[in-house]
Amino acid sequence: MTAPTARRPAVRRPPRRRGVRSTAAGALWFFGPLAALVAAWAVAVSASGAPLRVFPQVTDVLAALGELWTSGDLWRHLGASLRRTGIGMALALVTALPFGIALGASRVLSAFFLPLLRFSVALAGIAWIPIATLWFGYGDRAVIFIVWNAMFFALTYNAMLGVRQIPTELLRAARSLGTGRLRMFWEILLPGALPSIVTGLRVGLGYGWRGLVAAEIIASNAGLGYALFQAQKYFQTDVIIASMMIIGVLWLLMDRLLLAPLERRTVERWGMTGAQGT
Amino acid sequence: MTSTASPTREKRTGRGPGRHGRGARRGLAWRMWRRCLRSGTFRTLGPFVPVVALWWLLDALEVFPESFFVGPPTVVDKLGELLEKGILPGYLSDSLTRLGYGVGFGLLIGLPLGFAVAMSRMVRRAFWPILLFFQAVADIAWLPIVIVWFGFSLTTVTFVLVYTIVFPLMLSVVAGVEQVPRELVRAARSLGAGRLRVFLEVIVPGALPSVAGGIRTGLGYGWRALVAAEIIVGTSGIGFMMFDARRVGDVSQVFLGMAVLGALWYALDALILAPFERATVERWGMVRAMEADG
Amino acid sequence: MTALKIDRLNKVYTDTYSGEEVTAIADVSFTVREGEFVSVLGPSGCGKTTVLNIVAGFVRQSGGTVVVDGRPVDGPGPDRGVVFQSHALFPWKTVLGNVVFGLRMRGVPRAERNATAEEFLKLVGLDGFAHRYPHELSGGMQQRLGVARVLANEPAVMLMDEPFASIDAQTRRKLQEDLTGIFESRRPTVFFVTHDVDEAVFLSDRIVVLSRRPSRVREIVDVTLPRPRRWQETAELPEFRRIANQVNDLLAGDENEAADGGARAGDAGGEPGAA
Repeated sequence: MTAPTARRPAVRRPPRRRGVRSTAAGALWFFGPLAALVAAWAVAVSASGAPLRVFPQVTDVLAALGELWTSGDLWRHLGASLRRTGIGMALALVTALPFGIALGASRVLSAFFLPLLRFSVALAGIAWIPIATLWFGYGDRAVIFIVWNAMFFALTYNAMLGVRQIPTELLRAARSLGTGRLRMFWEILLPGALPSIVTGLRVGLGYGWRGLVAAEIIASNAGLGYALFQAQKYFQTDVIIASMMIIGVLWLLMDRLLLAPLERRTVERWGMTGAQGT
Repeated sequence: MTSTASPTREKRTGRGPGRHGRGARRGLAWRMWRRCLRSGTFRTLGPFVPVVALWWLLDALEVFPESFFVGPPTVVDKLGELLEKGILPGYLSDSLTRLGYGVGFGLLIGLPLGFAVAMSRMVRRAFWPILLFFQAVADIAWLPIVIVWFGFSLTTVTFVLVYTIVFPLMLSVVAGVEQVPRELVRAARSLGAGRLRVFLEVIVPGALPSVAGGIRTGLGYGWRALVAAEIIVGTSGIGFMMFDARRVGDVSQVFLGMAVLGALWYALDALILAPFERATVERWGMVRAMEADG
Repeated sequence: MTALKIDRLNKVYTDTYSGEEVTAIADVSFTVREGEFVSVLGPSGCGKTTVLNIVAGFVRQSGGTVVVDGRPVDGPGPDRGVVFQSHALFPWKTVLGNVVFGLRMRGVPRAERNATAEEFLKLVGLDGFAHRYPHELSGGMQQRLGVARVLANEPAVMLMDEPFASIDAQTRRKLQEDLTGIFESRRPTVFFVTHDVDEAVFLSDRIVVLSRRPSRVREIVDVTLPRPRRWQETAELPEFRRIANQVNDLLAGDENEAADGGARAGDAGGEPGAA
């Protein structure tokens, strides 16, 4: 048995070339299917003759998007949602990473906290909404708490696991090279745990994003979730779909502009492939 | 707990003096304790003991006001009361029914669809961005439009739950099929396996570890969506119970709801997810280790 | 009887991104007789594995023909069992499940295939491990299982793609002896790809030495060492050293030409074919 101790790049990937040709082809492969999807939607709505009030046509949704844009509502909601996500995520990173890494550095502590954290990860986010609104009232603070809460446990859990997965030889090598405690954190533990941390960030952000939408629907008077729910109240299906699309695009952008570059610059560059995230 | 911490650490690093013979000097109690530590139930449930104790302590010392924070006895009282009235069992079965429908249909739709998409490279490439996009539109964001379509009904909740489960599942199936080492397919083909046999005997089991991960992710999302949907649709269920209690300011019921949700997830994990993962991924010794060889 | 005939094999890859054409195999021809052990040896990256992949049917050639047992190759098939460097065992099947895989594909009844499996597990020294999973075996045992899995399927040719390259030196020697033992007792036809000269000399009846890319057959060396072979005795034979040196010289000569570089590279490629 060749034990998976030494971390080797597990999957051989085709070399990524960043030529013009491949970028264009990549974009086509990405946007082509989505365009086809939109076309299918347009055809389906007009062919089925479904009531437009219930199933809006593509053009209606685009018009609704335009109106959101010009009226400034879009920016207000977008700003509120992004601000909350940003603050929640920053708080989660600052609190979870030191905590998780400290836990992972001790075998006893991590063994003790492992079941607790698994449990908390499963419960984090939306289930806390009733309590959050009780503790913080309706509004910004409750929503930020939910985002923080959704991300905190996933990040802590994965940071802890990540530290535990660092090969013992690496820790010994660092120690025998005279690495001090603080140095150990910055130079060995944090980068060593990064593949797992990125996974945690991805999972956590997924929970956080859903938590944000739910919390905004339930407990706030601005933000994309709120816009969505407001539109539902007035039966504006075109606005609902437009808001949904904004939510989807935002997530994809966050993934592409935040998570993917982080992964590329660190984990992939160093030839360590992390666990796959969905 | 701290008293047990030091020997274990010393054992690991080997730095502690007199590592040998230490266990022998300790008495029967020590050996019993070690045996307890090794048992699975103890290791998973043990850590909750100090947490509950801390919760109890915080309540007893009245660190937080009564209207914000209640202790274990109050919650247990509430549990008894709601059990007696039959409210909790009713809500619980409502929630579980919805979850059951959602997961059942989700698996029924997601698995075949996932494999269908994954089997051809072209189809896979074409569907990947669509899957990503639907996964990106957070399931809960569908709730308003689905309410417009189906009203405040079981169909609405089921739709959202199925949605939450289908997309992570499909993504994980596609990723899982892509991860099956090419050598394994080649080996099967050169041993005389046809396309169907390769699919059944190589692709499906090879993708299972990833699929197991997808089911876990899907359930994690589905679980949250269920709570959110029950709060927003608001007719019955544990989520509704919690939010309703919050509205009238009944903290103990909110706490109880969270405890119930936690216990349920625990049961789900221990009874369904973990055994499935043990029977596949762990038993086969991690497919990834193999890949690293290639 | 000819088990495998490779005739004027040629393989050109088109790089998907740049559109450049890369010739991996220029012109390779040779045959393997039934019950013969033939090794293909060449400098790393010379395309020897590509030759094997074409014979196995995993990769389609650009030109030339491969005929196994009188039939031209078209896709993978049970007449050409492959032993992979990465073992490629099915991790979700037990040792027994792996060995009987090919027989099950052919619809051999359970009792019969279990008997066959037992026979071959015994042959490779894995009897008693039938119900273990592959990850519970050592690297050496995994590769024995890989061999048993192919032999149990009774292919016309057993194709081995650097099967011992990822195994530690001591175990490798043992496995080479075991493979020779199995070969000497059952006489399967073996097509063996390696970059280890001693290994090729020790195992083979003939060695096909390829040039560097684009590959051609540089020379085919007959190995006339007596069988049965054991490392201790065989490596002592002057004949063993002589052949090993000859093969080493062939490979080194190829590298020197490569080092000479540019101007002569063109005709250097053409030369070996004539040799």
